[in-house]
Amino acid sequence: QSPVKGTVTSSRGERLAGVTVSVVGKTTAVMTDGTGHYAIPAAKGDRLQFTSIGFAAREVAVLGDENIDVVLDNELVAAMNEVVVIGYGTQKKATLTGSVSSVKGDELKKSPQPDVSNSFAGRVSGVIANNRSGEPGYDGSSILIRGLATTGNNDVLVVVDGVPGQIGGLSRLNPNDIEDISVLKDASAAVYGSRAANGVILVTTKKGKSGKPQISYNFNQAFTSPTRLPKLADAFTYATIQNEIAYYNSQDKGMNQIYSEEQLQKFKDGSDPLNYPNTNWPDLVLKKMALQSKHDISVSGGGENVKYFLSAGYLNQDGLYKNGVTRYKQYSFRSNVDANISKRLKVGLLLSGRQEDRMFPQSGAGDIFRFLYRAYPTVAAYYPNGLPTTGIENGNPAIMVTDIPGTNYNPTLVFNGVLKGAYEIPGVKGLALEGMFSVDKSSGFDKNFATPYNLYQYNAATGTYTPNVLGGIDKQATLYQSQTNQYQYVSNIRLNFDRRFDKHSINAFVGYEQSNYHSDNFSAYRKHFPTYTTPELSQGGTADADKSSDGGSYTYTRKSYLGRVAYNYSEKYMAEVQARVDGSSTFGPGHQYGFFPAVSAAWRISNEDWFHKGAVINDLKLRASYGILGNDNVGLFQYFNNYSLNSQYVINGVIVPGYDLTLLANPDITWEKAKKLDIGLNAVFLKHFNLEFIYFQQKRTDILAQRNASVPQLSGINSAIIPAENIGKVDNNGFEFTLGYNKRLDQDAGIYFSGNLTYAKSKIVDIDEAPGTPEWQKQTGRPLNTYLLYNSIGMMRTTDDFSTYPHPTTTPRQGDLVYQDYTKDGKIDANDMVRTKYGNIPQVTYGFTAGGDYKNIDLTILFAGQARVSQYVLPESGTIGNFYSSWADNRWSPSNPGGSYPRVDERASNSVNGGAYPSTFWLNDASFIRLKNVELGYTIVNPLLTRIKLSNVRVYASGFNLFTITKVKDYDPEGSSGSGQFYPQQRIINLGLNLRF
Amino acid sequence: CKKNFLDLTPTTTISDVAILQDSALFEDYVINRYMGIKIIDKEGEGTLPGFGRAFEYSMWSSNTDESIYNNDDGSWLIQRGQIAPENLGNAGAFWGRSYRGIRDCNWALNNIASVTMSDGHKKNIIGELKFLRAFRYQDLIRNYGGAVLVGDRVYELKDNYSDPALFTRASLKASIDYAVAQLDTAAQLLPRDNGGSWPLGRATKGAALALKARLLLYAASPLYNCGTWAAAAKAAQDVIDLKKYAIQDNYSALFIDQTMAGNEIIFGRQYTITAPHVRMEISNGPNGYDGWAGNTPLQNLVDAYQMDDGKDITDATSGYDAAKPYENRDKRFYYTILYNGASYRGRALEAYIPGGRDSKDGPSNWNTTKTGYYLRKFMNDANPIQNPWSSAGQQPWIYIRYAEVLLNYAEAQNEASGPDETVYDAVNQVRQRASVGQPPLPSGLSQTQMRGAIRKERQVELAFEEHRFYDVRRWKIADVVENTPAYGMIITKNANGSFSYERKVALEGKAFSAKNYWLPIPRPEILASDNKLQQNEGYQ
Repeated sequence: QSPVKGTVTSSRGERLAGVTVSVVGKTTAVMTDGTGHYAIPAAKGDRLQFTSIGFAAREVAVLGDENIDVVLDNELVAAMNEVVVIGYGTQKKATLTGSVSSVKGDELKKSPQPDVSNSFAGRVSGVIANNRSGEPGYDGSSILIRGLATTGNNDVLVVVDGVPGQIGGLSRLNPNDIEDISVLKDASAAVYGSRAANGVILVTTKKGKSGKPQISYNFNQAFTSPTRLPKLADAFTYATIQNEIAYYNSQDKGMNQIYSEEQLQKFKDGSDPLNYPNTNWPDLVLKKMALQSKHDISVSGGGENVKYFLSAGYLNQDGLYKNGVTRYKQYSFRSNVDANISKRLKVGLLLSGRQEDRMFPQSGAGDIFRFLYRAYPTVAAYYPNGLPTTGIENGNPAIMVTDIPGTNYNPTLVFNGVLKGAYEIPGVKGLALEGMFSVDKSSGFDKNFATPYNLYQYNAATGTYTPNVLGGIDKQATLYQSQTNQYQYVSNIRLNFDRRFDKHSINAFVGYEQSNYHSDNFSAYRKHFPTYTTPELSQGGTADADKSSDGGSYTYTRKSYLGRVAYNYSEKYMAEVQARVDGSSTFGPGHQYGFFPAVSAAWRISNEDWFHKGAVINDLKLRASYGILGNDNVGLFQYFNNYSLNSQYVINGVIVPGYDLTLLANPDITWEKAKKLDIGLNAVFLKHFNLEFIYFQQKRTDILAQRNASVPQLSGINSAIIPAENIGKVDNNGFEFTLGYNKRLDQDAGIYFSGNLTYAKSKIVDIDEAPGTPEWQKQTGRPLNTYLLYNSIGMMRTTDDFSTYPHPTTTPRQGDLVYQDYTKDGKIDANDMVRTKYGNIPQVTYGFTAGGDYKNIDLTILFAGQARVSQYVLPESGTIGNFYSSWADNRWSPSNPGGSYPRVDERASNSVNGGAYPSTFWLNDASFIRLKNVELGYTIVNPLLTRIKLSNVRVYASGFNLFTITKVKDYDPEGSSGSGQFYPQQRIINLGLNLRF
Repeated sequence: CKKNFLDLTPTTTISDVAILQDSALFEDYVINRYMGIKIIDKEGEGTLPGFGRAFEYSMWSSNTDESIYNNDDGSWLIQRGQIAPENLGNAGAFWGRSYRGIRDCNWALNNIASVTMSDGHKKNIIGELKFLRAFRYQDLIRNYGGAVLVGDRVYELKDNYSDPALFTRASLKASIDYAVAQLDTAAQLLPRDNGGSWPLGRATKGAALALKARLLLYAASPLYNCGTWAAAAKAAQDVIDLKKYAIQDNYSALFIDQTMAGNEIIFGRQYTITAPHVRMEISNGPNGYDGWAGNTPLQNLVDAYQMDDGKDITDATSGYDAAKPYENRDKRFYYTILYNGASYRGRALEAYIPGGRDSKDGPSNWNTTKTGYYLRKFMNDANPIQNPWSSAGQQPWIYIRYAEVLLNYAEAQNEASGPDETVYDAVNQVRQRASVGQPPLPSGLSQTQMRGAIRKERQVELAFEEHRFYDVRRWKIADVVENTPAYGMIITKNANGSFSYERKVALEGKAFSAKNYWLPIPRPEILASDNKLQQNEGYQ
């Protein structure tokens, strides 16, 4: 009897570790190693059985071959047997009654963006993820499940390894540590009760598997650059614009009030760079490319009773600025250990921690980009002799991004520990007691040291350079330091019952959970540092006025009773009831407890005897769920009148203590409620196609909102002191559609594709509105987050137009926008503003992913897109800032009467063509489709590798945000800034290496 | 788990019970009523706003013919008559802030009975609250006209806001009568002097009487036309009769001394290094000194300053020389306005072109003046212009001073009984301040001539102190003066070193129409009332 050897791969070509290989009828059994290899003693005529969770078991006869390679099918049966993580448990995909999307960690890892939240877009139906900024450390996506459904807080609850709202959240988790992520989109989240209304994301980290240690090392080197930057006007154009603005102010003084034709020529020809420079600020301040690198190592393995997964990661992201200090570094570790203490008692200890090191210059990214886009092209960053100029308004972006004005160091430490236990109660089969205790701690530190520095003014008359001292205070350094400590303890205990009686299966639990969150902050400030070399609080000025300090803390607590009963008959008829009673300290006495139930059911039609499987439809399931979920994400202590110390008034030369009313009481404040209905159809047809269609309906009531519009100010109650009340109603309906195809062509090749589309449209049923609001401006009946704008319907091109079109001012000019007189009353006033159809949350999001493998090569492509979405952007242009080229080159002017953009003005923000009458001219269709992610890999198989203990080497190249198709001209369409001034989203090209030992 | 696991006590706020149980906390609450909430952008820099607009980046003067604000900030649309209910510019805060202040005062007035403190002190505080409430009404009345009078009512969230009675505006007369009655009570309850348990910064009897005098002057004025000049004169006389106040010698020091020493200031607000206002020197200073040229005086105001012989520059015998326009002017011109050639911080101001350091040829030329002038009043030369953050912003804001009371008296008395000696005396006290020394008014003026002289006197004496805006309205001359272009001066340095002066329009489009006599009530307020609240004429 010689050993039979071979390799086990999945139908997608992945080498499968941990597959149990046994000889049928005998006790012999082994497992495949990290490269999918096995060796088992077997004789000719034996039958080998290959089993692994998530794969269809397979039997192969030993025909005498020494080498039996096996492909396990995870296409059809495997998909049905796949286990999905749900709230407080897991469930077979086949018996799922709710809408749960799940995505594997390996899938998310393909995105070279280090922030996990950026990996959702396009991959998971029903999840709307918008990446608003690319600044290292703050480059995550805002995530909404099925769009906006409330005027209140829309944050999704993130549960990591069973800990609801774990401190540290989702974004900064190391993607390599994630086993899978489930998204609970419907009433199936009701088991999270008062925090589940906006959906729940469940993250499960990797656990060890029995077998010999598997060591994996990953190295990623990425090159990042902005997806797009606005093109800005050059010096000649901008100088001409300045002349035009002066001309509009005093037309009798002609077209060359600021710059003469000779001066304009000098800007054009660059003959006098000292006095007539031509500066492309973004080119000067931003690098073409920044670096990002990532190292990850993990070890996983274990014996029969102890299994472990250990990992460590390091990430280094560089900012985009030339000589900039912006960077993000992250160090993380994880140790997940599971142990069987006895036959009945299992414990698990999950420890993880990370340090997030953020380093920024003194100015925030918003400010830097504000100055960068405003800075005049007619001003240089540096004089020819190398001295820095005063830039715009004493802000020189080339200096702002460096450490010359000082730095802002902001490291955050996060620790998460979870201790879990499960005990099978003797005597009753299927009865078990489970419990968990978790500790989260985080400590955020901020050290902001501002140092004085010089910017120089050149005096052309005298030829001298005069320094302007900026930064710090009184030409001395200042230090602001702060510390925020948070902790959260969550504990729960559950009694589980899971048993099958013939064709009846019951899975049920009841439990109790409580949590306690606390946050403490402290900050201190010193100025007048005698020297810059001692950036410590103890080394600052000593006068009373040189110092200040601040601090505060808050706590909230929750306690909950929860349970679920799931029943299925032969995996044919499924029904489930779950409920949670939640208590929260956010609300006042008598209003602290809420009840959140849900029911769901499914009918697996394809399991009926009369259903002929295999012909066209292989699997068919119809399901529905309904439940009530809650949202308690509002400010604390709103149930009584709040008075706060606010000492600012000076009496006899000194500040005296002063109290202000800061919030009026709403003693009745309680939960926001979401009633969610979900009807879904799942099918597999022609063996390789899978399809999901879901219709969803959500009715949000008792929305926590402030009555800012209907309470008149003459009551003396202004918006600052109005508490949240349970007043609004919003409906949010839509559908999700997913169609996939997955086929192995042969042993060496496979292909798959999948497309998904989500349509979610909100409709405000009831919102606090001023009773006198004109019908066409009301939010009621319209989607959330729309804009109220004038309709821009053309341009005043001739003076005749002044009498044709009503205009908002008494002095219209050629080159002004024409606004629609919506009320047809012959004048343009606020009543002519109209609600837009869309806001900046897309109603339609879609994704398309495709891939395949051939021998050692694998490829994945992901497109993501959005539609029915608008973004308003009015650049801060005028004498106060430069213009996008799109405006500058197409502006109306006396010499360009056909221009498509309005005439330039002193300040766009106050212009009759800009901020004074915000109009649809500045509203862009922010639809786009973009190549979100590509990964191309090559796995090196070479016997030589095994000699150096390497079992697998994979090299790959990947990309993020590679290209975008959109109508938006000047900025990335995912942005949400109304001025376009934000750190741009990143395009990432990444090269990676994976070694397995 | 503990029984009261969900019952937590906040550590950063207290309840109304706590405020009312402790008289010290209650008084701390009352003290903050001297300030109001911040409502619009770019106000309350440093500390919360008080009454009016005071030291903000764009000052109230920049909504008049006194100055323009270089960076707009919601002032140009008022200069241009474009203010609208939905677009209020820098004038968008009075409505909301005043009513919030009134409610805060009412809450204290309604609850003070239950607070344990001495009767005497309690009386003072009641007087103080009524004074503060009346001051809020003054802000409402002089900006919007007839106010909605809410009495002592403290509105609650649960009140029915669809009741039309809530939105009824009282007549101008009823509004002023109400405020005046409150001030009469306040004057009886407030102490005459600051000191001891009533330190400087808290209102006194004089403050209440002086505010009453101002309101009655308004009431008698043509725009209001709901009171008598005699009553206004009597009210001002009552302040004079206190014999507590006098004209201070040094005009410019009056606006800089943060201790508010002397006895000209009747009611003002102090600031300190840790509770500052906008840093005036950098925000208004010339670009050549690294200032931002915020509120820049207009030629319209410059022309109002007489020659130091007491004659108007339009008088051919005044000695005014258009080639040397800044010579021999009323000294208050030099204390108020920085002009080309003025000696400032060690050099002469260079507002000329070509090449002037404080002109568009100077550094940071986005911060240069459009008018040819910079603001001098309020500027403390001890403060740095560059990096002022830890020293500047401490000038007092004067709400009411004795010079105003004298001019109020003179105006009312002249209208009531003609230019008698007391009228001359009151105006001349102001003109002949030691550091000003303008010649007394020529004798024998007719009532009309005296009216003109008093108006001009107010224009220059009280410049930048938030009077001009309301004066030109109540006199109903705004349709003339505010329709005059906002002039500045182009100053050109000639080859021989002399200067040429050419008038120019500094801010294009200045305009005023009849509706602009009052501010519009904010549109959201009209909508919140379901259009039951009467909008001011012309803004519907």
